[in-house]
Amino acid sequence: MATFELYRRSTIGMCLTETLDEMVSSGILGPELAIQVLVQFDKSMAEALDTQVKTKVSIKGHLHTYRFCDNVWTFILQDALFKYDEFQENVGRVKIVACDSKLLVQ
Amino acid sequence: MSSSSSTSTVYIQVIDDVINKVRDEFITNGGPGEGVLTELQGLWELKMMQAGAIVGPIDRSAMAKGMGMAAPGAAAAAANAVRDLNVPYEGPEEYETPTADMLFPPTPLQTPMQTPLPGQTPLPGTAPTPLPGTMDNSYNIPTGGTPITPSDYSSINENGSSNNIGRPTPSPWMNQRPPLDVNVAYVEGREDVDRGAANQPTTQDFFLLSAGKRKRDELPPQYRPGGYIPQQDGAADVMADKLEVGQGSNSQTGHGLKLTSRIPQLDGPIPDPYDDALSTPNIYNYQGVVSEDYNVANTPAPPELQAQTPALINQNDALDDDEDEPLNENDDDDDLDDVDQGEELNTQHLVLAQFDKVTRAKSRWRCNLKDGIMHINNKDVLFNKATGEFDF
Repeated sequence: MATFELYRRSTIGMCLTETLDEMVSSGILGPELAIQVLVQFDKSMAEALDTQVKTKVSIKGHLHTYRFCDNVWTFILQDALFKYDEFQENVGRVKIVACDSKLLVQ
Repeated sequence: MSSSSSTSTVYIQVIDDVINKVRDEFITNGGPGEGVLTELQGLWELKMMQAGAIVGPIDRSAMAKGMGMAAPGAAAAAANAVRDLNVPYEGPEEYETPTADMLFPPTPLQTPMQTPLPGQTPLPGTAPTPLPGTMDNSYNIPTGGTPITPSDYSSINENGSSNNIGRPTPSPWMNQRPPLDVNVAYVEGREDVDRGAANQPTTQDFFLLSAGKRKRDELPPQYRPGGYIPQQDGAADVMADKLEVGQGSNSQTGHGLKLTSRIPQLDGPIPDPYDDALSTPNIYNYQGVVSEDYNVANTPAPPELQAQTPALINQNDALDDDEDEPLNENDDDDDLDDVDQGEELNTQHLVLAQFDKVTRAKSRWRCNLKDGIMHINNKDVLFNKATGEFDF
């Protein structure tokens, strides 16, 4: 199963990465095993988002920069408005990084 | 609230799923064992709580429900039970407390942490009590972490691998690591520690010193095993340059004149600023080119390339003119770049997702995203679908 490393940049991914870094640095954990954990995280996170999450979001804003490189879209929005559930968030500047979902089809 | 709580729930499920699915790797094939896996989970969850990504104590019952809903429900639940039994601490329901206990009981870890911190970092926040210090740290950690770009992520792996490579050599260093690092960091890298006080002390653990380094600079990890050498070099270079100039002027006037003569040449472009009429147009012209390129930036690559090219040109010119000053200039540039990136990324709101479709009609962009993680206004929000409408 192909996985994206994309989600490692999220809070949960960063926390895991830092944890693994510490444990590898201290010699508690082997680097190979740490990478295996990260790969498993890639799978678990993608699966959880696919099966556990139902939230739908609407994003509007001024597109400051767009980029499509290596099948990854990057958008930088200004004055973006996020609507989800009953919430609404204004963000002055937000970066969107999106991988091609078709690449993940098993 | 509902969104945050559901986010927290999903995060907990992911953590458990990961832990359960790597358990075999930890236990079999000479793996580090269940205890290390438990420590991994404890650290991970602690960081998540500190980052505010997991709200409150972990609710095992809610998680069990979630696991039941999840595909690997039965197996995961069974694994949970197993893990709970093996976990050194009691009371699976009270997970939060045990987590902290679980973190700090490993005396080999804690002792090095405490001893170095007070001496190394004068900050009171890093006092032996791990929680307050780590709390502060936690807030910096995610922000400090955000600067890492996807490309950096591969670099993280590379770092990990590089660690592997570097590790065998300093294997003795690993064992003695805490004391050695402390001394090195304190004596040699003291200035850097002070400069990076915001980041480094915040790193709750010792080990994070290296992590903090890595985030701030991509190169340091390679030098990390050697310990702060590059930092010293940086400072030493400056001192060396000054000393060289002074010595040269004292010992050999000829060289001193050459040096001074070189300096005005390099300043040649700079003197322009004194001429208002000349300097301002030059500056504006220069920036104008860059800004135009940014506008042209419709093609994705140019902005970065344009941003880099001036630096490259400077490097080339600098190398041609003189070896010493260019180094300093480059260092300054790098520092500025890092700072800029850091500032941008620290406050960055980020959406990580997969795209189903991206279309454009004139300046109107529409995109369909799915399976995303948003970090907006210090909140994590997960979504299954997202639609975007952007005006370019």
